[in-house]
Amino acid sequence: MSSIRLSARQIAQKVRAGELSALNVLEDHLRQIKAVDGVPGSLQNASLDPAEEGKVHAFIEVSTGLARQQAEKVQTMVQRGEDPGPLAGVPVSIKDIFCVKGTTTTAASRILYNFRPPYTATTVERLEKAGALIIGKTNLDEFTYGSSSESSAFQPHPNNPWNTQRVTGGSSGGSAASVAAREAPLSLGTDTGGSIRQPAAFCGVVGLKPSYGRTSRYGLIAFGSSLDCPGPLARDVSDAALMLQVLAGLDPKDSTSALAPVPDYLAALQEGVRGMRIGLSRDYDHITYPDTLTGEMSVQSIQPEMNSAVRDVAEVLARLGAEIVEDVPMPNARHGIPTYFVISRVEAASNLHRFDGVKYGYRTSAPVRGLSELYRATRAEGFGLQPKLRILMGMYVSAAQHSAQYYQKALRVRSMIRSDFELAFDPQGVYRLDALLTPTTPTTAFRRSEVMGDSVLMQYSDQMTVAGNHAGIPAVSIPAGLDPLGLPIGVQFFGMDFREDLILRAAYAYEQATENADWRRAIPQALRESEVSA
Amino acid sequence: MKTYEIVIGLETHIQLNTTSKIFCSCKADSWGAEPNTNICPVCSGLPGVLPVLNVETVRKGALLAAAMHAEINPVSYFDRKNYFYPDLPKGYQITQFDEPIGKGGYMDLQMPDGTSRRVRIHKLHLEEDAGKTKIEDGERLVDFNRCGVPLVEMVTEPDLRSAEEAAQYLTQLRQLLRWIGVSEADMERGHLRCDANVSIREAGSTVLNTKTEIKNVNSIDAVRLAIIEESKRQIEAVEAGQRIQSYTLDWDADTGTLRKMRSKETEADYRYFREPDLLPVVLSAEEIAEVIASLPELPIERRARFIQDYQLSAYDADILTSERSLSDYYEESVRLFGGAAKVVSNWMMNDLSRLMNDTGKSAAELRLRPIDLAEIIRMVEGGKINPATGKSLLGKVEAGGGKPAEIVEREGLGLIADEDALSGQIAAIIAESPAEVESFRAGKESLLGWFVGQVMRRTGGKADPKRTRELLLEQLKR
Repeated sequence: MSSIRLSARQIAQKVRAGELSALNVLEDHLRQIKAVDGVPGSLQNASLDPAEEGKVHAFIEVSTGLARQQAEKVQTMVQRGEDPGPLAGVPVSIKDIFCVKGTTTTAASRILYNFRPPYTATTVERLEKAGALIIGKTNLDEFTYGSSSESSAFQPHPNNPWNTQRVTGGSSGGSAASVAAREAPLSLGTDTGGSIRQPAAFCGVVGLKPSYGRTSRYGLIAFGSSLDCPGPLARDVSDAALMLQVLAGLDPKDSTSALAPVPDYLAALQEGVRGMRIGLSRDYDHITYPDTLTGEMSVQSIQPEMNSAVRDVAEVLARLGAEIVEDVPMPNARHGIPTYFVISRVEAASNLHRFDGVKYGYRTSAPVRGLSELYRATRAEGFGLQPKLRILMGMYVSAAQHSAQYYQKALRVRSMIRSDFELAFDPQGVYRLDALLTPTTPTTAFRRSEVMGDSVLMQYSDQMTVAGNHAGIPAVSIPAGLDPLGLPIGVQFFGMDFREDLILRAAYAYEQATENADWRRAIPQALRESEVSA
Repeated sequence: MKTYEIVIGLETHIQLNTTSKIFCSCKADSWGAEPNTNICPVCSGLPGVLPVLNVETVRKGALLAAAMHAEINPVSYFDRKNYFYPDLPKGYQITQFDEPIGKGGYMDLQMPDGTSRRVRIHKLHLEEDAGKTKIEDGERLVDFNRCGVPLVEMVTEPDLRSAEEAAQYLTQLRQLLRWIGVSEADMERGHLRCDANVSIREAGSTVLNTKTEIKNVNSIDAVRLAIIEESKRQIEAVEAGQRIQSYTLDWDADTGTLRKMRSKETEADYRYFREPDLLPVVLSAEEIAEVIASLPELPIERRARFIQDYQLSAYDADILTSERSLSDYYEESVRLFGGAAKVVSNWMMNDLSRLMNDTGKSAAELRLRPIDLAEIIRMVEGGKINPATGKSLLGKVEAGGGKPAEIVEREGLGLIADEDALSGQIAAIIAESPAEVESFRAGKESLLGWFVGQVMRRTGGKADPKRTRELLLEQLKR
C-alpha cells in the first residue's frame, strides 16, 4: 500500500520502527505529486495544456533533492538505532512564504522570483530537526494577500482537489490542496486573517491557527506582523496536534514568541469533551457587508449548510457530554474586516518597503535615471495588483492626516474585538467558555475567477476567521461535512490564549464521533483518477 | 542696527559603546572594516527576519537619561519610521517616537567665565543607525556595516544662546558620555554627531522665529563655525528685509560654508507606527532605581567638591575632573598620601600629566598606580629622596614596574643621610674653591647656589638640598 494513505503519525511510527523507509515514503509522495499536481506555478506559463485544468497545482517548487537528503539522513539514523524524531520520514510541504535555505523563496511574487535565503525559518528548522522531509514549496496568493490563491504571480494557481473549477481558498491554498490531494500529509501555512483556516475549510482538511506568539515568525516573510501566525494543515486533528507539538515554543529570534509552557497536545486529545463549555454565537450566523454604493453595512445571510453544520457539531458534542452555551454575544465581530483592512494594510505597506530592487530579488531592466526611477520601475513591474492595492491603502490610512481617523481608531476597535472573547472565556464570567464554535467560512469554495477582482468581497470570506487574529487567540478549522455540490464545509473552534489543547480536544472528539459518517468516505475529484489507477 | 540674539537647539546622535548592534549580534563597531563585512540577515533587511532587542542598549540609554536628570520612562516603545533610501535596507528605521526611553531633563554647563548655564533636554530616544552610501565612478555604492548600530538621539530645548555655548555643550556632553561609560564619544569616528537648529531674534524678545537646521556638523569647531556663519547670514537677511525660510543646510567642513540641502516646508510623512516585531520596553521601579543608583558622581558635581574639599583652583579642578579615571586617580592618591591634597594636585598637573602625554595612556591605563604615586610624594616630602629623583621614579615605575621604595633602595637613589660624610664633601669643595669662597665672603651671596650645585654634582644629586644649604652656610661663614 502506498504511504500516501497513511497519517503522519503512522508514517513516523513505521519509519522509526524500521518498518518503512523514509525514502520510500518520499517516492510515494513524489509519485502522487507527479500524478495529480501538473506543472508547477511559474512566471512563464502563458498557454497551458487543457489537461492542466484538472490538476491541483499546489506547488511552485518540488524540492526533491533537499527531501531526499533528509530522507537519507532519517534512514541512517534509524539504521544506527538513533531516534530521527516525531516526524521521522513525514513529507511536509511548506507555503512559499517561509524562507528555507536551499530553496527559492518567492512569496509568489515576481519581486522575489530569484530570492534564495541564506537561512531557514525557525518553524521549518524545527520540522527538519523532527525528521520531516521538506518536499516542496506551495503556491499562495502573492505575499499571502488574498483568500483564493489566485493572485499568485506564479501561474497556474492551485485548484481545489474536490472540484478543480473551484478555488482552494487562501492564502495557504497550495498548502491545503497539497494535503487534501495526499501530496503531503502535513503542510506549514500562515494565518493573518484566516489564511490557514479558510483554505483548510475549502479543501476539507484540518487547519490550526495557533495563539499569536505560540509559533515563531522568524523566517516568515511578513504580511501583518502583529497578526501573522504560522500553523499546521493536516488531514486529521491528531496530525495537526503532532505538528503543532513540533512547531510550538519560545524562539529567541522572535521577540514576540511566547514563554508559556507547551502542553502535550496529543495526550490532551484523549481527555474528551465531557464538561467542556462550548459557545455558539448569533453574531456568527451571518456576515455584515458594506453596500458598494452607499458604504452602509448590511446584514447578509451565509450559505445555510454552514449554520446547520455548526448545529450538527454542537449536537454531537452535547451528546458526548459538552455543555452548549447559546447566544454568546460577539458584538464586535462585524468590525473584524474593516479593522483588518486598516491594520493589516499599514503593516503590509511598511513590510513591503524593503523590496526596492537594491539588494535582492527583481530589479527593473529598464534604463533608469536615479533612485526614484529605480524604485518606481522595480516596484511597478515586480509587484502584482494586490501588493499595490495594499500599499496604497496602507499608506493612506497611516498618513499623518488620516492616522487618527483610521489607524489609531482601528487599534481601539481591535481591543474591543478582543474584549468580546475575554468576556466569553472569563472563568468567573457569565459564559465561562472553553471554546466558541462557529462556521469557518460564509460559503464553501467559490468558483475560480468568481470573486477575483473584487478585493472587498474577497476579503469578506475571512469574516468568520479574522477576529481570532485581532485577538491573538487560537482557532482550528475542521471538516464537518459536504454541501449539496460535494464541497467540504468547515467549522471552527476559537479558544483562549495558549489553550490550543482545549480546541483540539473538542475538534478531536467530534472527529472521532463522526469517524464513520458517509461524507468522510468521499474522495476528492482530483484524486479519483489516480485512486482508480492505484 | 538692532542687537540680535541667537537661539540654538542641538540634536545629537550618540553611538552607544555596546558590544553588539541593537537588534542583532553583529559587532556594534565596525570602524575600519571593509564595506558589508559586519552584517547579517537582520541588519541588512532580508525578508522574514526579526529584530531582537539588545537589552544593554536599554540600560545605557536609561543611564544617560538619568545623567541628564530626565524621567526614565517605565514603558517605552519602538516605532517604525518609514522612508525609502538605499542605506536603509528595511525601508523603515526602528526608532522611538512618542514614548521614548527618557523625557525632559537638563544639563548644567560650566561656562569658562565661571557662571553656569542650564540647557533643558526635550527627550532622549533609542534607535538604530542607517548605513552609508557614496557615489564612485558614477555608481552609487552602499555599505550596511553601520546599519543597526545603537544610537541615542538626544534633543535639547532651544536654550543655547551662542556658538560658544553650543561648543561648550558638546564638549561637556562628550566628557559626560565617557564619564558614565555609555559612549566612546569620538566625533571623528561618528560616535557623537550633531545637527544644529538655529534662529535669531531681537535681543530681549521671547518669540521663537523660523529656524534652519544645519546637518553634518561633526566636530566641535564645525559647530562653532557653522553657527557663527548661519547666524550672520540670518542677521544679514533680516536686515535686508528678507524672511528666514525653513531650510535644511549642509555644513561643508572643507570650505567652511553652508549649502542648502532642501526646503523643509514640505516635511516628509514618516507614517510612524508601533513596531509590531518588538515588545514594549518595560523597566520596573526597581530596575529604574538600580540605574539611578549606578550613576556615578557627575563631573560638574565632582568639580565643585574638589574645589570645596581640596581647595583646588577652578583651573586645577577642571583638569582633574576632565576625565573620570583621572579624577578617581587623584582622589585615590590623595587618600593614600594622607598629606596636603594640593601637593598631590601639583604632581598630577605637572609630572603625571607629562607622563600620560609621553606614554599616550589614560590614568586608568597607567602602570604607576595611585599607591605608587603617594609613596613617591611621601618620600620627597619626607626628605628621603630629592624632587628630581621623585620625578624620575614616575617614569621608572611606569616603564619597569616595581615598588618605588625598592627602586630607591636597589639603585641607591636615597639622599645621603650621613651628615659627617656630607660635611666632609662640603669641606673639600670649600678647600678647592678659594676664589669663590672669597667672593662669597665679600658679599656675593648669590654664589650659594653655585656651591649647592657643586655638592650635588659630587654626590650625584643625592644630597638633601635643604641640609646642604644649611651646612654650606655654616662652613662658609665660619
